[in-house]
Amino acid sequence: MSDTQVPAVDLDGITKRFGDVVANDGVDLSLEKGSVHALVGENGAGKTTLMSVLYGLYEPDGGTISVDGEPREFDSPRDAIDAGVGMIHQHFQLVDTMTVVQNVVLGHEPAERGLVDEGSARRDIEEICATYGFDVDEHLDTRVEDLGVGVQQRVEIVKSLYRGADVLVLDEPTAVLTPQEVEGLFDVMTELTERGRSLIFITHKLDEALAVADHITVLRDGESVGTVEASETTREELARMMVGRDVLFDYPARETSPGAVTLGVDDLRVEDDRGLEQVGGVDLEVREGEVFGVAGVDGNGQAELVEALTGLRSAESGTVTFDGRDVTDASRRERIDAGIAYVPEDRQEEGLVQDYDLVRNALLGNQTVAPYVENGFVDWGAVRTHAEDIVEQYDVQPPNAEAEAGSLSGGNQQKFVVGRELEHQPDLVVASHPTRGVDIGSIEFIHERLFEMRDAGMAVLLVSSKLDEVQKLSDRIAVMYEGEFVGMVDPDEVTEEELGLLMAGRSPDSGGASAEASADAPPESVVDDGESTSDGGVES
Amino acid sequence: MSVGDYAARNRTAIGGGAIAVVLLAVVAAVFDLPVGELLTVGMAERSLRAATPIALAAIGGLYAEKSGVFNIGLEGFMILGALTAAAGTWIVSGEGSITQVDLWFGVLAAIVVCALLTVIFAVLTIRYEADQIVAGLAVWFIGLGFGPFTATVIWGGVSSPSLPNIDNVTVPLLAEIPVLGRVLFDASPLVLFTILITAVAWVVLYRTRYGYWVQAAGENPEALDTAGVDVNRVRYATVIFSGAMAGLAGAVLSIGIGSGFTGTGVTMVDGRGWIAIVAYLFGNYNPVGAFAASLLFGATDMLQVQFQTVGISLPGSIVGLFPYAAVLVVLTLVGYTRVPAAVGEPYDTEE
Amino acid sequence: MSGNGARAVLDRTADRMVHATAVERLAIAVASTLLALALGAVVVAASGYDAVEFVSSLAYGAFGSKSNVAFTLRQSTMLIIAGVAVAVAFRAGVFNIGVQGQFVVGGFATSVTILFLAPYLPTGTVGGVLLIVFGTIAAILAGGAYAALPGLMKAYADANEVITTIMLNFIASGVVFYLVDSQLRPSGAAAPNTEQFPDYVELPSLVFDSSSFSVVGLGVALATVIVVAVVMSRTRFGYDLVTSGYQESAAAYSGVDPKRTVVTTMTFSGMVAGLTGAMFAIMILGYYSDPATFPRFGFDAIAVSLLAANNPLGVVPAGILFGGLDAGGQYIGFTLDVPSELVDGVVGLVVLFVATPELFRMAGRRTGLGGDRK
Repeated sequence: MSDTQVPAVDLDGITKRFGDVVANDGVDLSLEKGSVHALVGENGAGKTTLMSVLYGLYEPDGGTISVDGEPREFDSPRDAIDAGVGMIHQHFQLVDTMTVVQNVVLGHEPAERGLVDEGSARRDIEEICATYGFDVDEHLDTRVEDLGVGVQQRVEIVKSLYRGADVLVLDEPTAVLTPQEVEGLFDVMTELTERGRSLIFITHKLDEALAVADHITVLRDGESVGTVEASETTREELARMMVGRDVLFDYPARETSPGAVTLGVDDLRVEDDRGLEQVGGVDLEVREGEVFGVAGVDGNGQAELVEALTGLRSAESGTVTFDGRDVTDASRRERIDAGIAYVPEDRQEEGLVQDYDLVRNALLGNQTVAPYVENGFVDWGAVRTHAEDIVEQYDVQPPNAEAEAGSLSGGNQQKFVVGRELEHQPDLVVASHPTRGVDIGSIEFIHERLFEMRDAGMAVLLVSSKLDEVQKLSDRIAVMYEGEFVGMVDPDEVTEEELGLLMAGRSPDSGGASAEASADAPPESVVDDGESTSDGGVES
Repeated sequence: MSVGDYAARNRTAIGGGAIAVVLLAVVAAVFDLPVGELLTVGMAERSLRAATPIALAAIGGLYAEKSGVFNIGLEGFMILGALTAAAGTWIVSGEGSITQVDLWFGVLAAIVVCALLTVIFAVLTIRYEADQIVAGLAVWFIGLGFGPFTATVIWGGVSSPSLPNIDNVTVPLLAEIPVLGRVLFDASPLVLFTILITAVAWVVLYRTRYGYWVQAAGENPEALDTAGVDVNRVRYATVIFSGAMAGLAGAVLSIGIGSGFTGTGVTMVDGRGWIAIVAYLFGNYNPVGAFAASLLFGATDMLQVQFQTVGISLPGSIVGLFPYAAVLVVLTLVGYTRVPAAVGEPYDTEE
Repeated sequence: MSGNGARAVLDRTADRMVHATAVERLAIAVASTLLALALGAVVVAASGYDAVEFVSSLAYGAFGSKSNVAFTLRQSTMLIIAGVAVAVAFRAGVFNIGVQGQFVVGGFATSVTILFLAPYLPTGTVGGVLLIVFGTIAAILAGGAYAALPGLMKAYADANEVITTIMLNFIASGVVFYLVDSQLRPSGAAAPNTEQFPDYVELPSLVFDSSSFSVVGLGVALATVIVVAVVMSRTRFGYDLVTSGYQESAAAYSGVDPKRTVVTTMTFSGMVAGLTGAMFAIMILGYYSDPATFPRFGFDAIAVSLLAANNPLGVVPAGILFGGLDAGGQYIGFTLDVPSELVDGVVGLVVLFVATPELFRMAGRRTGLGGDRK
C-alpha cells in the first residue's frame, strides 16, 4: 500500500490497567501510511481503551507511542490533535445545541478582535468538503441535534480534518448506520486514504473489516492475538482469533406451531418526549409459542413502540390488546400484573438498580407479588430465596445474591434480569436488545432461554438491531423504519441484503435514487446511549 | 438565527411572558386597579433599580449553569456581598463620614471577597465533586449565619447603621428626555453598568470562543475536552464569575441603592438570589432574557410601593409576597426549560 | 460497542466511592462536624473572642446542667422530627427544602384548631388530650397538603422543587404572620401573638422540670423515627420511594409511577414536617406567633438529615448533636456575647463538608488514616 517505511502510528507494548483490571496488556500496532488498519475484537477486548491511550485520554502504564517515527507522550487530546491524530468517537463528541460550524471549530476557533470569525471558519470547512466531496457544507448553520446520524458522523470527520488530522481513529463508526450508510462511509474512508490519510477502524463486525481494511489486528482480553493481511485471511480465521474457540451458531429447530393471539396492536401511534411522532400507525400480532422479531436501525421508533407496549409511555391513538383485553390505557403496574414481562434495552438504567444488591433487585417489578409483598409489607426472606434461585438457575457469576448489581459484568447483569423477568411465568415477554453488550457465552444462554419460553407456549416480542439475532430467533420479522413497519418477512427466506435494504426504508426490488436522500438522515435518528458495556474488562 | 427561529426556540419563555402579561391584565381588571396610575415613570425607574441585583446575580448564575455547575449558592453569596460592601465601606471610612470613594471601595471589596469565597466553593464542587445542590444550600446557611454574625462583631447588632448610597450619574441634556432620560440618564451607575454587562455577557456567550467553550462545557464536556480545552478550567472561571457577580449584586442591595446592611430574619437579600435563578431559567439562559425576567420580578417587587402611592390598601406583608408568588407562577407555567445536559455532573478526564 | 467502555468502569468506581460504607459515613460525619467547629473557633478567635472559652461554653451550654440538657433535648426533639421529614424526601431523591414552611403551616393549623375547638370541649386533662390530638392531626394534614403543592408542581409542571419550596417558605411565613397579626391577635395586644392555649393543653413534665420540654415530646420524635424507618425499609411504599431516589428510570420500569411518587413523597415528608409544627406549638410555645421569629428547625434539619446520610435511624444521634450545638450556641450568645448566629454559620459549614465526602477521603488517604479504598 505504501512505499515508506515509517509507520503513521506505531504503538509498542501498550499496557493500561484500571485498578486490578488489565484493559491492555502489551499491545503492538503499526499503522501504515495511507492505509486502513482494522482493530477487531469482542466487547471488552480493550479496543477503545487502546485508542483512548493513543488519543491522550488515558495515560498508558507501559509502552510507547510513535507518530510518524517520533516517540510521543500525550497528556491530553490536545497533544494528540497537535500531533495530527483525530478520533471519531462512537458517541459523537458534538454539542447538540450548537451549529455545525461552531462544532467543527470548537477549541480551534479563528478569532478576530476577540470575536469568533465565523466567515473564515465557514470558508475552511467548505474547502474541506469540496476536497473530499462531503455534503456537510449544506448544513453549516443547522444545530447538530437536528441532523441525522450519518451527517453527524461526517461532521465529526470534518472536525478532525479541520484540526489537521493525518491519522483518523474511527471507533465503531458503523454501529449506528444502515447498511447503505455503511457503504457511504466506506467510500469516504477510501477517499481519505487516497489523499494520504491513515485510518484505524475499530469494529467487531468481521465482514466490514475484511471489506475495507488493509491490515487487521485482533484483540482478545486486552491482548493482541495477532495482525493479519486482510487479503490473506478469512472470516472464520478472524472469528477464531476473536473468541478463542469456534463459534457455534446452532439453534434448535422450531417445533411448535403458534397458538392464539396473545398481543394485538392496532394502528398504534406514539410520540416521544418532544411530542414528535415516533410510531406512526403500527399493526402487529404476537401469538402463543411464537417469536415476533422487530428489526431496524436504532432510533426508528422501536424504543417508543416497546415503551408503549410495556406501559412506560402512553399511546396517542390506536389499541393494544393482551390476552383479549384492551390494555391500551393500562398502567405499567397493571401490565406487569397481567403477565407482560419486559427485558429492557438498558439494564443499567432500567432493569437494575446499580447500587442495590441482587436481593433488593429481585423485588424490582415484583412489588405486588405474593409472597414477596403481602399487605404492603415486604418479606425480605422470601425475596432473598427468590434472588438466590435466579442466581443459581441463570448461572449468574459471582453466585452471590448480596453482590451489588453494579459490580456484575454486563452478561451476568443481563442473565439476572432475564431470569427475574421469566420467573414471573408471563404470557408475553418483550425483549429489547436482550444481548446488547453481552459476551458470547451469555448470548447463547439468553437465546436458549428465549427458545424455552417460546416452546413453553409464551409469546415473545424481540426487538434487535442485530440482523443475525433477529433472523435466528424469530418466526416472523417486521422491519421498522421511521416509525412504521415497512416490511414483514420470513426469516428463513429473507437475505441479510434484503433486510438491510428494508431497514434503510427501501423495498428490496426498487431501491431508487429517491430513497437515497432519506436513508441518509432519518429525521429523528437518535444516537444510541443504551450501550454501556465496558471496554475495561468488566466482561470477566 | 432568524427571528422566526429565535421565537421557535424560545416559545416557552415568550409564551410564559405573554401569559404573565395577560394574568396581570386580568388581575388589574378584576380588582379594578388604576393601571394608568400604577405605570408611572417612577415605577419604571424603581423597577429597574429593583431588577439590578437580581439581573446581576442571574447573569453570573447562568454562566455557571451554562458551563455545567448549578450555583445554587447565589443567595448566600449575595448576603456575604451585601455584608462585605457595607463593612468594607464602614471600615475604610474609619467609621466616620462616608464618601463616595469609600462606597466604591465597598463595592470592590464585595466583588473580590465573594470571588475568593467562590474559589473555595468551586474547588469543592469541581475538584472534590461536592453535591452541587447541597453545597449551594450550605453557602446560603453560611451566609445567613456568618453575615449577621460579622455584622454583630462590627456594629454590635445584626444590621449596619444607615449608610449613604452611590450617587446617580446625571448626563446633562440627555437626562431631560422625557421618560427615558430619567430612567437611563439620571440613574445609578450600577444600574447602567448592569445594562452594559447584560450586553457584554450576551456577546461573550454567543460570539466569542470563550462563550463556545462555556456552552460546550455544560452540554457535552467530553466534546470540549477532546477538542483540547480544559473543561474544569472553563467551569472554574464561570463559577468564580458567578460569585463575583453575586457579590456585586449584594453590594448593590446594601450600598448601591440601599442604605446599609440589614441582617434580621433572612437578611435584606430576602430571596433575591433564588429569584435570580428563576430569572435566568425564565430567560432561557440568555443574558438578555434573564435581564428582562429580572425586570419583571423587579416590577412585582415594587408594586408594594406603587400600591401605597395610589392608595390601594393591601397589607404590606401580603404584597411583599408577590415576587415569590410570581416565581411560582412562572415556574409552573413555563415549566420545562432546556437545562444544559451535563449540569450537576462532575467532569473527570482520567481515573 | 466498546464505545464508552473504560468510562463505564470509571463511573462505576466513582459510584462506589460516593456510596460509602456505614463506617466511612460515620467518620465523615464526625470529621465534618469537628472541622466545622474548628473553623467556627477560628472565626471566634479572629473576631477577638476567646476560642477556648467559646468551645468550653458551647459544651457547657449543651450538656453542663440538667436544665441545659433539657434545652438540648428540646431542640433535639424538634430537629429529629424535622430531620426525619427531610430524610424521607431526600431518600426518594426529592429536595424538600420547604420543611421550614411546612412546619410553620403545621404549627399554625395546630394553633387554630386548639384555639377554635377549646370552647367546645371539656376543660381538664381529657379536653387537653383531645385538643392535642386534634391539633396534631390538623398539623399533619396541613403540613402534608402544603408539601403536596410543590410536589404537584414538580410532577406535573416540571418546576424545580428546591426553588418552589423555598418560595413557599417565604409565603408561609408571610401569610401566617398576616393571619396571626390581623385575625388572631387579641385586641389591644402589642405583639403579633395569638392568645395563649388553655393551661391544660400541655405535655406532662416528666424527668425534667421544664415548661418547654417534655420527655413525651422526645418520645413522639423517637416513635416517628421508628415508624418512618419501618416504612422505608420494610414496606412496598418505602421500597418504591427509595428506588425512585436511587434510580428513577428503574423505579418506573418496575411499575412505580414517578409523578405520583414525587407527590406522595412530598406529602409524606410534609406530614412529618407538620408534626414538627404541632410539637413546636404545643410543647414549646403554647401560643402562636410571627414565624419570622421562629428557630430555623426546618433548615437545620437539612444538615441533620445529611449528616445522618438520610437514614431515619441516623437522624437521632445527628439530631441530638445539633440540638446540643443549638443549645450551646444560644448559651454563648447570653454569656460570652458571641453572637449566636455563629452557630448557624457552623451548621452551614457542616452541610458544606458533608456534601464533600471526597475531601475527607483524600485527606484520609494522604494521612493514611482512612484506610485504602480501591
